[in-house]
Amino acid sequence: MSGVTEVKDSTFEEFIKSAPLVVIDCWAPWCGPCRMLAPIIEQLSEEFQGKIKFGKMNTDENENTPMKFNITAIPTMLVFKNGAQLDRIVGAGNKDFMRQKFSKYL
Amino acid sequence: MDFDVAVIGAGPAGLQAALHAARKKVKVCVLGKMQNSALMKAEIENYFGTEPRSGKEMLDITAKAAEGFGAVLMEEDLLNIEMEGAAFKLKTESLKEIKAKAVILAPGISRKKLNVEGEKEYHGLGVSYCATCDCNFFKKKTVAVLGDASMAASAALLLREYASKVYWVAKDFKASPELMDKVKATDIEMVQAWPIKIHGDQVVRGMALDNGRDLTLDGVFIELGAKGVADLAMEVNIFPDEKGYIAVNRECATETPGVFACGDVTGLPWQLAKAVGEGCVAGLSAASYVRKERE
Repeated sequence: MSGVTEVKDSTFEEFIKSAPLVVIDCWAPWCGPCRMLAPIIEQLSEEFQGKIKFGKMNTDENENTPMKFNITAIPTMLVFKNGAQLDRIVGAGNKDFMRQKFSKYL
Repeated sequence: MDFDVAVIGAGPAGLQAALHAARKKVKVCVLGKMQNSALMKAEIENYFGTEPRSGKEMLDITAKAAEGFGAVLMEEDLLNIEMEGAAFKLKTESLKEIKAKAVILAPGISRKKLNVEGEKEYHGLGVSYCATCDCNFFKKKTVAVLGDASMAASAALLLREYASKVYWVAKDFKASPELMDKVKATDIEMVQAWPIKIHGDQVVRGMALDNGRDLTLDGVFIELGAKGVADLAMEVNIFPDEKGYIAVNRECATETPGVFACGDVTGLPWQLAKAVGEGCVAGLSAASYVRKERE
């Protein structure tokens, strides 16, 4: 079972409030780096289980949330603490790079 | 055009790789411009068995040697690379298509940042380093592309398919003749100037130029020089590490079958002796890989 939940415009607000620390991976099917990052995020969601909750949003299928958060580059990870935006991570990196990025929020 | 090995980068690592691979009787091409190598302007006094001499001289000697063994030095930049099954398809800035069974990445370390006020602040909020990744977010919007080489021209052409208005801003327009013709056949506005500030509110709204103009914009695409290491690596399914280096094993092989890397792009020290040594290893490894695939 995937550790990364698919999030839509309609479920976004509820999802970001469902845990103290939430990361949303904004991606699109035509984005090469996004596709490369996906399995890394899956693996890291298991490593960070209980500490960070991960979701993913297809920006082709969901327009409102990307527009609200001014997403103009993907992949972009939106980071939420207690339901409020804390940070964003723009661009992709290898597993160590992403692990370092997420760890600083703990 | 079909080759066994395509080398990306015409600096010391790339040329040494080409020389070693060509001597193993595989068909080799080199994409890249020697004049852009960091070695071109250097004076070398710490290289084995050589009295102090200019980097240019050393590049010229090795380029001639590689050509002598049959390597084809193409003196043009790569636009993009795609994986096609177990092989690779490369497009050059003159729009030639090349097929290769193995690729050696020796592009050096790119310096893609603009270092202009607003660049960091608006990264992901209108500033992008990848037109192919982010063009979809700028449908019917106004964007500027910064950079004077073929990558910038190619990005401007791609963005024109999405944006309603594209500015190509450069100090000088030095893309390939083929790409220049394509740009001039569109309504892309070429602006000879350079940015002094990218500004906006929560997102990019404009860019002030050194010629006094202030462009109203939704996006700024920074495409300086030749193809960046990260873009190049990701096109062959490799993530650079947090410092932008590509990981290789002792054979200079990356995690993608058929892709090798050498020189500054694999990490420190950024020294000629290290670049050449890795070029030798990568060239031999790529040649072995191709010959094994033939069997």
